[in-house]
Amino acid sequence: MDGLNALLVKIGRGVGGVVGTLYQAGRDTIDTIIRNILPFMAFISFIIGLVLVTGVGDWIAQGIKGLAGNIVGLLIVSVVCAIPVLSPLLGPGAVIAQVVGTLLGVEIGRGNIPPQMALPALFAINPQVGCDFIPVGLALGEAEPETVEVGVPAVLFSRLITGPLSVVIAYVASFGMYS
Amino acid sequence: MNIFLAADTVAEPTGVWGAIAGGAEYFIGIFNRGGEVFFGLMGGILPTLVVLLTAVNALIRIIGPEKIEKLGEKAAQPGLQWYPVRYMVLPFLAVFFLTNPMAYTMGRFLPERFKPAFYDSAVSYVHPITGLFPHANPGELFVYLGIAAGITQLGLGLGDLALRYLLVGLVVIFIRGIVTEWITARMLARKAAA
Repeated sequence: MDGLNALLVKIGRGVGGVVGTLYQAGRDTIDTIIRNILPFMAFISFIIGLVLVTGVGDWIAQGIKGLAGNIVGLLIVSVVCAIPVLSPLLGPGAVIAQVVGTLLGVEIGRGNIPPQMALPALFAINPQVGCDFIPVGLALGEAEPETVEVGVPAVLFSRLITGPLSVVIAYVASFGMYS
Repeated sequence: MNIFLAADTVAEPTGVWGAIAGGAEYFIGIFNRGGEVFFGLMGGILPTLVVLLTAVNALIRIIGPEKIEKLGEKAAQPGLQWYPVRYMVLPFLAVFFLTNPMAYTMGRFLPERFKPAFYDSAVSYVHPITGLFPHANPGELFVYLGIAAGITQLGLGLGDLALRYLLVGLVVIFIRGIVTEWITARMLARKAAA
């Protein structure tokens, strides 16, 4: 009888553990949705509404079309985003990358930018990723202050090379996509 | 939803009042359109996102994110064969299991001279991964989702773009890791000489 009891307790604990894990995962998810995802959706929806209803959209389309519709324009965008003084300013929260991404998405949907440019564009608008966060990111990795001192410029200068390079790689990798 | 739209049965207001009324309709039209977009996002991607995030969160809890720490210790070794581990495998697993921003804590297993390069590599992967695994960076989904929305609008599938973004991202963070490690080494050498 004791053996059976022990078995039942074991099964009960096991099932309880799995259910608890799944429930906690669901709780984390809803928390993330409410705190991180929905606020940004609201913000993005407003911008899209503004772009589609007002003439701003057509005005932006003219500028974006020349830059995002071809590889040379995308390279220019990536170099500008990777300039060491600008990149930490463009970085925070990836807000700029997300807004520009959304605007590009609107223009791709309207047919102003060919869909195969989506992949290189994803890299062209993002060479500044994390440039605002280097000291904090290095501190999370328990880096010494001397490493931070060298690491910040090292990453910023590296982006000047790897930013445009990533656009070229993505451009080559986009051959055969949506065509 | 279109609460301010004029009914068809009465005449449109004219004159100054008509112009103001027209302006009001235009004004509210912006938000009606934005609301439609918001509703589309809520109905379109949010349900999938909820289920996907829950499944992956549960998976991560069951596996236990501390398992990848051993790999971090291995990636600290010098030698050419550890480059892909340090700047492709480790950043991928770190971003997948620990998500943004805790992924960067994996840098603590590496020697100081690799830390900036690892950070560069890991932080550059927090967007390419969101195409397939949005749990890794739920606060910054619209870099990918914004552009993906345009592709969806054209009636094209997203699998191709998401997969290519993921793979090209891996190649890019690998190169980024190597370049940043090289620049860091040069700067450390110059500092030591000074």
